[in-house]
Amino acid sequence: MDDKVAIVGVNYAQGDDLGLTRERLCFNAVRGLLDQLGIDRHAIDSFILASNDFLEGRTISNVFEDGPVGAYLKDETKVEMDGINAVVYGALRILEGNYDTALIIAHGLCGHQVSPYLQVQYSLDPTYDRQLGLLNELSGAALQAKAYLRRHGLDEGWLDRAAAWELSCGASNDKVTRKLEGVDEAKVSSSAYLYEPLRELHCYPPTDGVCAIVMASAGRARELTDRPVWIRGFGSSIDSYYFAGRDLAVSPSAGEAARRAYAMAGVDDPASRIDLAEVSGLFAYQAPLLAAAMGLAGEEEAPHRFASGEMGKDAPLSLNPSGGALSAHPVCATGAVRVAEAFRQLRGEAGAVQAGEPKLALAHGQDGLCLQQNTVVILGI
Amino acid sequence: MRNVAIVGVGYCPVFVSKRNDVSIPEMISEAIHNAYLNCGLTPEDVDAFTFGNMHTFEGVNMPHLWSIDHLTALGKPVMRIATGGTTGMSAFHCAYYHVASGLYDVVMTITFEKHSEGDAQVGLAGIITPEIMTMLSLGIDLTGGSGMGGLGGGSAGGISFQATSYLHHSGAGIEHIDAEAALERRNAAKNPYAHLKDPECTAEKIAQTPIVSYPIRYGHICPTTDGATVCILASEEKAARIADKAAWIHAVANCTTDATTGNLIEGLITDPAEQMSCQLAAKKAYERAGIEDPRKEIDLVEIYNGFAHQTLMFLEKLGMCEVGEAHKMLERGETEIDGRLPVNASGGVVSTNSIGTSALNRVTECALQIMGKAEGGHQVPKKVRKALAHGWGGLMQYNTVTILGEAPLKR
Repeated sequence: MDDKVAIVGVNYAQGDDLGLTRERLCFNAVRGLLDQLGIDRHAIDSFILASNDFLEGRTISNVFEDGPVGAYLKDETKVEMDGINAVVYGALRILEGNYDTALIIAHGLCGHQVSPYLQVQYSLDPTYDRQLGLLNELSGAALQAKAYLRRHGLDEGWLDRAAAWELSCGASNDKVTRKLEGVDEAKVSSSAYLYEPLRELHCYPPTDGVCAIVMASAGRARELTDRPVWIRGFGSSIDSYYFAGRDLAVSPSAGEAARRAYAMAGVDDPASRIDLAEVSGLFAYQAPLLAAAMGLAGEEEAPHRFASGEMGKDAPLSLNPSGGALSAHPVCATGAVRVAEAFRQLRGEAGAVQAGEPKLALAHGQDGLCLQQNTVVILGI
Repeated sequence: MRNVAIVGVGYCPVFVSKRNDVSIPEMISEAIHNAYLNCGLTPEDVDAFTFGNMHTFEGVNMPHLWSIDHLTALGKPVMRIATGGTTGMSAFHCAYYHVASGLYDVVMTITFEKHSEGDAQVGLAGIITPEIMTMLSLGIDLTGGSGMGGLGGGSAGGISFQATSYLHHSGAGIEHIDAEAALERRNAAKNPYAHLKDPECTAEKIAQTPIVSYPIRYGHICPTTDGATVCILASEEKAARIADKAAWIHAVANCTTDATTGNLIEGLITDPAEQMSCQLAAKKAYERAGIEDPRKEIDLVEIYNGFAHQTLMFLEKLGMCEVGEAHKMLERGETEIDGRLPVNASGGVVSTNSIGTSALNRVTECALQIMGKAEGGHQVPKKVRKALAHGWGGLMQYNTVTILGEAPLKR
């Protein structure tokens, strides 16, 4: 896709306890972003929220958020998925032509949930899977981790190394929840098992977070910033729910989502064209699994290259220099944060985690158990 | 911007209180199957899907994940939309933007609700529970004041403030709400996909039902329904090839305002009968559809009316008549199936409410009327060239509008 839809500004916050109501959290993110762009809410034509009623503990959770995000007497809708899908919807709305700007607000407050895994528990087949209680986000991820380890002849030590690497990237990112200075393999392997083989530091931290993104048509984008980041392509796909019938060591839907995004962006050789990838890997094995599914690294070499730091911020293709979702996972906002991280990187504004001078970046978000549904957005400057 | 058409509509075979014979995915797949049958398309033809329901009503989070294997959507882009009562139309609008963007040619919108597997009023009460808990924890007195009416019982409690305000401003009486409810029950009797049907219903019969929360009677209130509705949209080029008949989307618009529970904090909040967001959404939709005088140009209206007074109230808010005129149109019989401006020929939401589908059903009913395909005797006798579908939801504050036409809009 040529220069048609751009991201002109992002503002996001993540923490294990931001100590704010949802309304204040959203207000702060939007107010901060509008101030940063020097506009007010009347410059926004279309508001797209992303949140989850089960996470929020209330029905139609956006009803009290319209005021705080500035949508009063405006066009507003809600995507009840990871926020990266709201970015896709924003692009569709701008491409249609009715709107010149769209504000995406994705948020999730998970830092103080009774259990961060409940919202996935409630997405399971209510008759069998949920009632039996054997299947949940952690047990599913543990099965997937084992399948991945077995496929590639890896042991739990690899999981420790992969997690230590990703967390060490996050350690220099001011924007994350889990900032572990000097984290290493030993520290990861001494954290407690949550569900064998997954230890606490192999798994995402429960996180509060919000991400606001302003998108604009080409003409409007150039008025709002001198460095718009262009949406080059996007794609989405979904795998079967019945995961006993799936090969858990791979993610066909992540591959399909990426292929669709590459086709739209005119990217024929992603491994050489993409400079930076921010993927939502919720567990330590997922970032390399996703990178391989999306053709960013070979299936065999991906786990080794990732865990050994060969895909770090100085590499030609950097994978999750932000520390990824292993360093912060505010459900619903995580994919939008990946877009925001890519935006910062493309504009050279990522500070301590800046990965060279990327020109083309990939952002990824997921929903469901074991990477069931995946969405990919390609961004360029 | 390119023209987008509705080329297929599919309902599950019946809309009733309890579909004990099917699971959620099975019920949805019935509607999908019918949509394919009705337009001759196959799953291979569909490029993307949008999906909507209110998942707190069944207690399954993001149910598209669980039911995906039964939706003919494996390996396809699927976007889940949820906005309360407006969900069905919001998901439809999302599908419209998919096609109008130029990136997808055929997109299916899937909506459902299976209320029998949950409790709608518990789900609805959940909208304000966190606020109530906060007020309680801060020691705010909830027992003094008339504010408790807003909490009286799910949506019927809050809605009584809206109905009272509507009656006050329009000069209509409770007897008009009775008559409107009766008209829609009679219309529903002619619609094979309606739930509460009564071919002999009269205002007097409705008037005998007990008051639930003044002025709302039992007979003014929608049922909780199990049902699924599917709609297939296509680009102009594609529609020309695949559809024998189509209804064309001339405009989509929506708007929000502040959440209101009625009279919760006296004097400090918006009148729930003001519905400024409806007025603004309608204005925007007319503008986009090139409609100068909706009263002359719109031939048929489908209104989201969980409660019977809303048909009359929203007719005014949509600009289809002056304030205080709607109940007079009703008295003159103009809104009957064979009237000058048929309103809710389908029986409306007040006769059938599987919430996720309800706002989409307003669109599909308009589409079927334009195509001349409304079944069971509720096809209106007049020629329908342009029709307006309305959706309402949130905590009284979301309004969505879709305008359909018999031919593509000249842009």
